[in-house]
Amino acid sequence: MSRVPFYLRERLDDVKQRVLFETYEAQKLPKWEQVVLTWIVLFSFWTIISANVKAENLLIGGLATLVISLFMYEMLTEDIRRSGHILEKILYISFFVIPQYLFIMAFRLIESNFKVAKHAVFMDINPGIVKIKTELHSNTGITILANSITLTPGTLTLDVNKKLGETYLYVHWISVETLNREKAGEKIKGDIEGWLRKIFW
Amino acid sequence: MVEEDLLVNPFGWGVLILIATSLILSYRVLFGPTLADRIVGINTVTTKLVVILAIFGFIMKEYFFLDLAIVLLMVNAVGSLILAKYMEGAK
Amino acid sequence: MIEYFFLLLGESIMVFGTLGILRFPDVYTRLHAATKCDTGGAMSILIALTIVSEASPLIRLKFLVLAFLIALINPMISHAIARGAYKHGIKPKVVVDMYAWDNP
Repeated sequence: MSRVPFYLRERLDDVKQRVLFETYEAQKLPKWEQVVLTWIVLFSFWTIISANVKAENLLIGGLATLVISLFMYEMLTEDIRRSGHILEKILYISFFVIPQYLFIMAFRLIESNFKVAKHAVFMDINPGIVKIKTELHSNTGITILANSITLTPGTLTLDVNKKLGETYLYVHWISVETLNREKAGEKIKGDIEGWLRKIFW
Repeated sequence: MVEEDLLVNPFGWGVLILIATSLILSYRVLFGPTLADRIVGINTVTTKLVVILAIFGFIMKEYFFLDLAIVLLMVNAVGSLILAKYMEGAK
Repeated sequence: MIEYFFLLLGESIMVFGTLGILRFPDVYTRLHAATKCDTGGAMSILIALTIVSEASPLIRLKFLVLAFLIALINPMISHAIARGAYKHGIKPKVVVDMYAWDNP
């Protein structure tokens, strides 16, 4: 791809963006489902923060969060894929995906803490910046993947590069083991990308 | 009253350890070789301060400290983002 | 009893994170220590507070919301600081630098 002239590369970029955008638009959730998802998240946050279960408090909070979710329904749920009924999706996300994710990430976080402690005591570091490829394209999915990579042992995301419909991440690795892109991607990403691809685009 | 409670409770000793680590980290804030080191130090000290506020809220049984901790965390996020953006442009 | 285990775990993680921030050679490796050890230690101490607290359950959930916000915000800030430090011109002490290959 690097031999293509510059103007042609720009055209190719445009076409690819358009094709990707159309498939993305076709998979979007309907509007009222986006509003309901946003309202559920905002209302549970209101209830926990205000710590008050009187009726008038819940009424005021429900109305205010409904108005906010009517305006801002695109921000949270723009990148979620369509699959099945909305109730099924809510139950699937809240009882299957999130507990699995939290359980695995807790153990990865403790492992990374001990690894940093080991590196800090013995100073056996061999740092390097490697480039890996990911299959995710949506902004929310890339953000969650980058944050998870930062919390898993020995890695820290530096920058994101979106080019020609493909997404690359630059990762600072505290002890470089391999320079091959596929092997490094498997070692760094682990299972997290597979779970995120179930929900996000 | 409060001083007695602070050292009887094991979480009070935890507050002391957190304050000691924050004081050690102020070396990185004061004498950091570059600008980024100072920002890392400030960010770390603020996260420890959030935890100290939550522990105080638990020990004194005054739970509005938790709201203060959440607000301090969000202000820290916005401030660090602005500092990072400033550092990106400055030469 | 388990809350004191969580408290001890969090405090020792914080102490080792401070040691890492003092001893590592450049900004990027210091960010490793800062982000991971702060997030892990703070979440561990907040889980211990959630277990030991005697308040009503909604107030206990506030501790968990605080832990969730820390886990959401801390990696994002470290990502922003690392990118800003690279654009600022601080060279990392590394064996291989693929970011400099693509952005000369």
